[in-house]
Amino acid sequence: MSEHAVSTSRRAWLTGSKGTAAPRVASAPLSAWTDLGPNDRAPPQAPNGLGLRNAALEARPRESEPSVDLRVPQPPFAVNVLGKMGFGPRPGDIEAFNALGSTDGARLQAYVEQQLAPSSLPDPVVDAALANPALTTLTKSLTALWTDHHLGDPPYLTRVKPMRDLECATLIRALHSRRQLQEVLADFWHNHFNVYGWEFVVAPVVVHYDRDVIRPHLFGNFRAMLEAVARSTAMMYYLDNVENTAAGPNENWARELLELHTLGAEHYYGVIAPDQVPRDPDGIPVGYVDNDVYEATRCFTGWSIRNGHWQFPSENDGTFVFRDTWHDRFSKYFLGLFLPANQGISDGQRVMDRLAAHPGTARHIARKLCRRLVGDNPSQSLVDQVANVFRTHWQAPDQLTRVYRTILLSAEFAQTWSGKVRRPVEQLVAGLRALGTSWYPVPPADWTWTVSQALLYTLQVAGQRPHNWAPPNGFPDRQSAWLGSGSLAMSWKLMAWLPNLREQFSTGNWLADVVTLTQNALPAAQRSATQIVDWWLARLYGYAGDAGRRQVYIDFLRQNASPTEALDLGTDAWNGSDLKRHYTQSRLRTTVAMMLCAPEFLRR
Amino acid sequence: MSITRRDFLHAGCSAALIAGTAPAARVAFAQAGSSNDILVYVFLRGGIDGLSLINPIGGADRGHYEQYRARLAQPLSGPHASLPLNGLFGMHPRAARLRELFQAQRLAIVHAVGLVPTVTRSHFDAMTYLELGTPGSQGIGSGWLTRALDSTSSIPPTAVMPALAAASITPTTLLGSARAITMANGSDFRINTLHWSWDDDEAGISGHVGALTRMQALWQGTTTWDAAGRQAHNALNVVRPIDFGSYQPGNGAVYPDSDFGRQLRMIAQLIKANLGLRFATIDTGGWDTHENQGEPTASYNLFGNLVQNLAEGLHAFYTDLDGAAPNDFMNRITIVVHSEFGRRVRENATRGTDHGYGNPMLLLGNNVRGGQFHGTFPGLAPSQLFEGEDVSVTCDYRRILSEVLIRRLGNNRLGQIFPGYGNYSPLGVVNGPDLPPDYGSGSELMFRNGFEA
Repeated sequence: MSEHAVSTSRRAWLTGSKGTAAPRVASAPLSAWTDLGPNDRAPPQAPNGLGLRNAALEARPRESEPSVDLRVPQPPFAVNVLGKMGFGPRPGDIEAFNALGSTDGARLQAYVEQQLAPSSLPDPVVDAALANPALTTLTKSLTALWTDHHLGDPPYLTRVKPMRDLECATLIRALHSRRQLQEVLADFWHNHFNVYGWEFVVAPVVVHYDRDVIRPHLFGNFRAMLEAVARSTAMMYYLDNVENTAAGPNENWARELLELHTLGAEHYYGVIAPDQVPRDPDGIPVGYVDNDVYEATRCFTGWSIRNGHWQFPSENDGTFVFRDTWHDRFSKYFLGLFLPANQGISDGQRVMDRLAAHPGTARHIARKLCRRLVGDNPSQSLVDQVANVFRTHWQAPDQLTRVYRTILLSAEFAQTWSGKVRRPVEQLVAGLRALGTSWYPVPPADWTWTVSQALLYTLQVAGQRPHNWAPPNGFPDRQSAWLGSGSLAMSWKLMAWLPNLREQFSTGNWLADVVTLTQNALPAAQRSATQIVDWWLARLYGYAGDAGRRQVYIDFLRQNASPTEALDLGTDAWNGSDLKRHYTQSRLRTTVAMMLCAPEFLRR
Repeated sequence: MSITRRDFLHAGCSAALIAGTAPAARVAFAQAGSSNDILVYVFLRGGIDGLSLINPIGGADRGHYEQYRARLAQPLSGPHASLPLNGLFGMHPRAARLRELFQAQRLAIVHAVGLVPTVTRSHFDAMTYLELGTPGSQGIGSGWLTRALDSTSSIPPTAVMPALAAASITPTTLLGSARAITMANGSDFRINTLHWSWDDDEAGISGHVGALTRMQALWQGTTTWDAAGRQAHNALNVVRPIDFGSYQPGNGAVYPDSDFGRQLRMIAQLIKANLGLRFATIDTGGWDTHENQGEPTASYNLFGNLVQNLAEGLHAFYTDLDGAAPNDFMNRITIVVHSEFGRRVRENATRGTDHGYGNPMLLLGNNVRGGQFHGTFPGLAPSQLFEGEDVSVTCDYRRILSEVLIRRLGNNRLGQIFPGYGNYSPLGVVNGPDLPPDYGSGSELMFRNGFEA
């Protein structure tokens, strides 16, 4: 097997233009960009006065709501919560959750507060894994990353080493961290402020983006995170602001800042004049137009990176710089706000202030967060409530913690189950967690085909390799995007592998030793197909799940044995004339694989 | 198409395989209906700079072009010169393979196509509107290809693979389709990660039923998720017998070594496999060239690399499928090349172009009226530009797609496929019989979500 993702001419979707090194990893999925769904949109605008609304069209039912599935029993509350606030329980997590209080409400409250204070949770397993000597770049400073992995056009392997470390680190944390909410939120904000991790100048500095730009603000303040992103080397290159100057404006960053990062496209009024946009009671335009994109572009001229530009050849450490001589110094008019001339770097900062305080931004981000943490179709009342908290506390240092708490302690959070599906990364991580593995991925020093690489490649085929989404909008977050045959079947391919995989494919330790686990859990006399299946269902799901599916597992595992007859788990050999003895250990692993490929494991 | 030995043994039904149907799949053939045509929809993600792909080489617009594009304009002579198509327009020098098809009268170019009446310079809005087929509205729960597929009466409900998205994640054009298969890479598209002893059914062992069969019983409920699970299992069953590695393209066609090339090759193989494929989508990205777009004369030329990949891919696909009777695939295939918008007429200061509006659309096939331009080029004089910035749009993209659907696929149900669109008249880009457009809403289809039971 080889990594057949090699390509000679593949490019990052956006601006993959800064160099010649084609990523050795296949490009991110380029389809299904649009993550649309009900309730995301203000009614469509008629930006040029021609686009008359089609009332009949608007009245049509939107994406169908999932119907209540009587075939899937409701899981215990702990399973519900651990599946939404994290990547699903590891063995013991359900018991630990239940020990937090005497009622579901008390347990949830205690768990939420615990997860909202991640530094109070020691994380020794993650600390040890991240210290693995194969991960060489995670502690390098921005300048060290810039110097070691970008300057002098190093070999491609060197260039993308930080990206290869980060994708493993991301999985390690999701897989082993006790700070599960932190990892869910890191994923959320990475996608909200998406950069394509394999892009030429992003790959060398992406470790900095994760460690110093996104993560410090996860539980803090949105406006602060926004400024960190605006100044970051990764975003500067990804959306081209590094070259945005008064003489040569580049509107890429400004457009996505408005469309994706703050107000959202639902507040885009197209190409009409700014004074045609309605005002809210505070006199603020309710949305933005193209002119606001151009004005924001001007405000961010001169925001750049010390990259050895010919005008400043001695400055080349990869850090942020504001170049006053590149800044458009004349007055601007942004989102109803007059910005006088000669204000330098504060132009961009005032743009971000204006956006971070805008009710449209609060609504946009509140809806996205609710969609991630609760379900695909959060109620308008919850979104409004969360948006209100977001906006009220927009300058508070713990703004985002307050926002998360509002969502997580809402009745809707507690009562929603199966509002969305696990995406491929979430399935993989949940599967490994449920199996209780102590294994974790690390990058090989070269392009050797290892288990880590095979799993990452298969994630890519399924459509969700971490940090590998080329467009700026981040991975889709609705089940309609992830229920196609491509991602579903390729996720099953991954899940089917987990109980059958050893650290070197067919040699070395099992990622999870299903046979030994079973033998340790059940005495020989209690190893009937029924008992084994029930033990594994409890371990993987935290409950029995659907009775019909349970019977499928039992019938497959028992073969010609009776449901209550103990199976001999001691052998794994051909016995075609007596199937209950035919490759029994492999059959047990296969049974577990089937459980991981079932609806109970797909939904959350 | 060849079948791997292992698959063959497991299938135990060679006749079905030769006919191109997998044993576990619903049996179907590409039935001859009113039409047996295939639409291959190529989407160039990011907004291709159409003025670099097809550029003015004569007339008044040449002067405007050189003025707007001081660094990016293609020269008229020398090794990097624009390749003349007629007296007025030429093609990017890296698109030589496309020009061959144009000169062979297989490739047609439609001027200044775009999203009407809604105008947006947002990638995501533009793509959503285009792919849903409802400019100005995003509320509909299905893509236009989904509705085209469901309303094409000549497609039997039992077709094995009526629609394919060559992608990991289903594109919005096929949103809500219960019948489309999404598959980025045929060779990868199989569950080969279980232990061999219990994955497939072992025909030689009495009573042996493998996990891949048993797993299908896990998705027998009535919900969205169950339907999706059945669809994915069906896709796996359909694809499993196909050996993608040994496929030999016809006529010596050589596909470029890129995702685009590999996926076109996969589509070609599946067309030849006679699985009833009628709609295929394929994406190729990288076109959002805000900077360093590439200058025709520079050694490094991002845009040129993209164009060459596109041109060589389409040429290989055409060559592979162009053939003698009885197959004559290219007689019944229409390839449409589309992008969400064009780019600003003026180059920006970073040797790139920002988001714009009107853009050429390309059509390729033996029933395309090729070797010529269709529609109206609106001109590049300042007064002719949209908002003084962009190439204006003179042709609604739905007009071209409707013509292909009516004349090539015999599907005139425009009211369902493009609700809100009216006043269709053919531009004459493809051959085929006209049918009166049916603007009925077809509520039985409109309200149907493909996944609902």
